[in-house]
Amino acid sequence: MTTTTLADLDRARDIALDLSGWGRRFSFYQPRNCAFWGYLVLVGIGIFVFISTLAREYNAYGQAIGLAVTSFAIYAALFWWFTQHIDHYAKLPAKLMVVAFLWGGFAATGTMAANANDAILALYAKAFGQVWALNWGAGLAAPFTEEPAKGSGLLLLIALAPRQVRTAFDGFILGAFIGLGFQIVEDITYAMTSAGTQFGANQIGASIGTIILRMVSGVAAHILYSAIFCAGLVYLLGRPAEPRKVGRGSLLVATPMLLHGIWDSLAAIAGPSPLTLVGMLIAVIVIALVIAVRVYKLTVKRERDFVRDIMTPEEARNVITAAELDAMAGNRKARKAYRKASRKRRERKRARYVLNAAYGLADEVAAARGADTDRVRFARAEVARIRAGVPSPW
Amino acid sequence: MPDPDTDTSSAASAPRFEPDEGWVPADERLYGVDRRTIAPTLAVFALAIVMSVVLPIINAKVPYHDIVKAGDVMELEGDVTFVPEAGWGVTSGVRAGDAPSSGEYPATATVEDGALKFTLHTGPFHGDANKLLDQIETTSEALNRGRRVHVTGAPTTIVTDQGKQGATVRVTGPHTGGVIAAFVFDGRGVEAVATGPSDTGPEPTATVFRMIRSINRPGEGKR
Repeated sequence: MTTTTLADLDRARDIALDLSGWGRRFSFYQPRNCAFWGYLVLVGIGIFVFISTLAREYNAYGQAIGLAVTSFAIYAALFWWFTQHIDHYAKLPAKLMVVAFLWGGFAATGTMAANANDAILALYAKAFGQVWALNWGAGLAAPFTEEPAKGSGLLLLIALAPRQVRTAFDGFILGAFIGLGFQIVEDITYAMTSAGTQFGANQIGASIGTIILRMVSGVAAHILYSAIFCAGLVYLLGRPAEPRKVGRGSLLVATPMLLHGIWDSLAAIAGPSPLTLVGMLIAVIVIALVIAVRVYKLTVKRERDFVRDIMTPEEARNVITAAELDAMAGNRKARKAYRKASRKRRERKRARYVLNAAYGLADEVAAARGADTDRVRFARAEVARIRAGVPSPW
Repeated sequence: MPDPDTDTSSAASAPRFEPDEGWVPADERLYGVDRRTIAPTLAVFALAIVMSVVLPIINAKVPYHDIVKAGDVMELEGDVTFVPEAGWGVTSGVRAGDAPSSGEYPATATVEDGALKFTLHTGPFHGDANKLLDQIETTSEALNRGRRVHVTGAPTTIVTDQGKQGATVRVTGPHTGGVIAAFVFDGRGVEAVATGPSDTGPEPTATVFRMIRSINRPGEGKR
């Protein structure tokens, strides 16, 4: 029987930290990196296009633009919170998520997909007639323009942050932020278009329906499509912590394109019956959410393994217990089971705080690249203090 | 499982050195640039050029073949129709009886003949034709801020072949002239905009007014 020493566990932790990229800082300014300049040019063009459109239309549709920008800003903030909530594991730097968001919002929309969509829709109308283009044009244009436009951002992000973007789960999270940026800017544009449908009168009434519909359907649209697409892209390319899996990658890249195509063709598939349309709308949203949950579960496993490898030395040093390690590296059910293990309410509350402090310790260990720094020692002390029920001196 | 009391090894007290992100290994530099970042950047640029330059150029080169035949009627959302001039090309909108699968006709239709363009747009509106024309002028001025076409002259009355009274006004811009007409059918506004080169003769003008006068909403008043 072989004996595992603390040194072995520390070595395993170092390997996990290297592979996962967890805790590494991200610097956007990299003048010797081509992707940095490419990103600046393409996002810059998109920002110019968007600001020009807003400036041109603000005088006419100021009320609708104000409502749309405010509503979607709140929507984006809620989504950011949700992403933080589901990502307990090897977290990506917030700066990288902002870079992803801006790509989706400006480069993927104004610089790339919008031009391509207009051209392809017009070409479809010329080739197959106006009615065909109205029925199937969007469904056979957007999946082939918008998904690659959003997904190509991940190629630049990998070139900009090769030490941080290491797993399919990283692709999933960054893809979701690219999709969020795309969704928000597209929704603001749709709100402006709706404001003009009544000749500029009754702007709020004309655009509120669009804003609400886009908010409700948005989660199962661009955010979800890009998350799945970008996870697939990581499998297709392969990363140091994610071996290349071409079959799985191709399937995950194709799935959101198919979902997007169906979503954009729903009115044509459902026909004139509003009931059929609503039924199909709900069905597609449910199917898309189920697929997204499955992809999340598929990709998050590697991240959980990293958490276990990184925190096992803490368990070996008696900083956390085996049950806490299992909860940290487990899924939502495992964390819930750990918290509910005690019958007393106060104990359950304390278990939650201990778990949060342990995640904080994991972040500090990752930031210190496994070293025994003052911040790590303090984070360990915090776990012990909360477990002992001692009030914070700070 | 190691015994923490007997196993005395501890983690290093300082993080291992890692070069900053701007550092490029000497064997990966090409004129100072990280050569590993060139291929993905070029791939993304190639995609961006195809989407934003190549596809629009192909579209501009492909002519439209949807030419209006005598007797064609265009239909828009809310049962609004108009008779386009034979020989003009349909660049958006559909003919009556040829609705998309959803059953909903689009809110806009456009027909073109060279540089001449005639667009009809419908939407809910509460008020009369003069009020709609005022609203269109306000929105148009706010959007264009005097840079493109702007309203010149006073509104005049126009009556369709079906006897529906509307309001019309002339617009001019740099090298462009045209007309805007507004009608309101039972809470549904209709805006017709025709533009073309300012040196257009009287014949195209007559064609445009023929199309404006053909605007109709069958069954109006029974709703």
